Amino acid sequence: MTKPDQFMFAARRGLVRVAPLILFGLIWHTICTAGVVNKDFLPAPGAVAAALADLFKGGEITKNLTITLFRAAVGLILGAACGIWIGVMMARSRHFREYVTPIVGGTYSLPKSALIPLFALWFGIGNITSIAAVFLACLLPMIVNTYHGVVTTPKVLVWSAEALGTGERELWPRIFIRNALPDIFTGLRIALGFSFVLAISAEMIASTNGIGKLIFMYGENGAYDYMFAAIACMVIVAFLADRALVILTKRLLVWHESAAAELEARRP
Amino acid sequence: MNPIEVRTDAFAWRSAVSILLFIALWEIAARIQVTPVILLPPFSIVAAQLWYSTLDGTLAADLSLSLARAFCGLMLATVGGVVLGLLMARNRTIEWLVDPLVALGFPSPKIAFIPIFILWFGIESLSKILLVTFACVFPIIIGTYSAARAVSRQFVWSAVSLGSSRSGVFFHVILPACYPRIFTTFRIAVPVGLITTFTAEMVAGGGGMGATLIYSQRFFESPTVFAYIVVMLAVGLAVDAAMRRFQSRFLRWAEE
Repeated sequence: MTKPDQFMFAARRGLVRVAPLILFGLIWHTICTAGVVNKDFLPAPGAVAAALADLFKGGEITKNLTITLFRAAVGLILGAACGIWIGVMMARSRHFREYVTPIVGGTYSLPKSALIPLFALWFGIGNITSIAAVFLACLLPMIVNTYHGVVTTPKVLVWSAEALGTGERELWPRIFIRNALPDIFTGLRIALGFSFVLAISAEMIASTNGIGKLIFMYGENGAYDYMFAAIACMVIVAFLADRALVILTKRLLVWHESAAAELEARRP
Repeated sequence: MNPIEVRTDAFAWRSAVSILLFIALWEIAARIQVTPVILLPPFSIVAAQLWYSTLDGTLAADLSLSLARAFCGLMLATVGGVVLGLLMARNRTIEWLVDPLVALGFPSPKIAFIPIFILWFGIESLSKILLVTFACVFPIIIGTYSAARAVSRQFVWSAVSLGSSRSGVFFHVILPACYPRIFTTFRIAVPVGLITTFTAEMVAGGGGMGATLIYSQRFFESPTVFAYIVVMLAVGLAVDAAMRRFQSRFLRWAEE
């Protein structure tokens, strides 16, 4: 195929995929204009779009979104770093694993948002509470996935590396961590989802700013078109972040034959 | 994929030491008042509070309300998700129609929708149940869909050549072949359902574990806050253990 052909093909495929969303928007629009439901309960898509534009112009969205994304990102990065470290340590040392496993296993199934009131008690209202909640939520999937990835390293790889003269120290970055990378990225994708949920929950429960607070405030004030606009904005941001991570993963793990298949299969 | 693995005596022993050490450290830190008691009540006081809450029935009432909401939401999500997932796998038009919505809905932080659910369905149980359904339905749709797509063609062909009807193939081949994967995604959805219930109660009130937790925090009744968190942790563990037992008992025939 020539370049323009490829472009047309991709464009048509994109259009076919987006068409149901447009259809959905049209149905939404018709329901609103036909007056089936009260306009206060379901603002028309046009009104929501206008509200969104207004929010961008006034800077409310950009300001609060930056705050939320900052909290989510800091918690995610800290959680990922510590999680990878703990996961590797668990795989390296049997004793460490035996002491840590009950705590990891116990907190793994704890609803992390239950700790938000506790953090609010300890750290007050604001950044630290949100970041701590995001951190803890991201930490556990990272630990579990990193550990799983390291432990499942095929013995053949380790033996080959050793036979070719790789030392014990070099074995870790070269074999174990590299073998765990697909799992680490799977964990990262789960953690990314958690980071948004926890950041927004923490803002709704204990914060004076951020997009979660903004959504809740508009809801309480009855500015429903603005509330829908802020939620739509959050959905789009979360979708784009998830897509970006998937694309990054595929780029970084091209050398790993099962990377793409694994990612699709692991989609829960 | 839980980190729990082969248990030996030494392992169980060290695990017990680890948990006891944690409780002891907590108790000592609280008793020598590293922080004010209001921020960290000693474990013994939390345990006593847990006992009182159990005795006067508030805990049982909150817990049963929360669990009932989570359960209803999960059931709706499972039925809806399985039906939609199977339909998507069997019918290209439905697949075309639903797939973009699922792709957009799956990564979105569902808790952000809670004001909409309050607006539409009120502050009581219904809004929470439906929010749980909304939060859990996407992973179940995706899991069922990929399970149904992965059913071996040979099974289907064999059934057809042995004279199965269309509905026979569906109910006796495709659906049973999907059970293990559906259950795996259900195991993923259950913690999501619990988290969503608790968080929704915290944000919107209306009774339940989350609402009591947040009220206790507002009145600085720290022992109650800690006691409720301990209960939530226990619930999470118990539910996960129960599902693991169910899986190893009834779905043993399926390879992981």
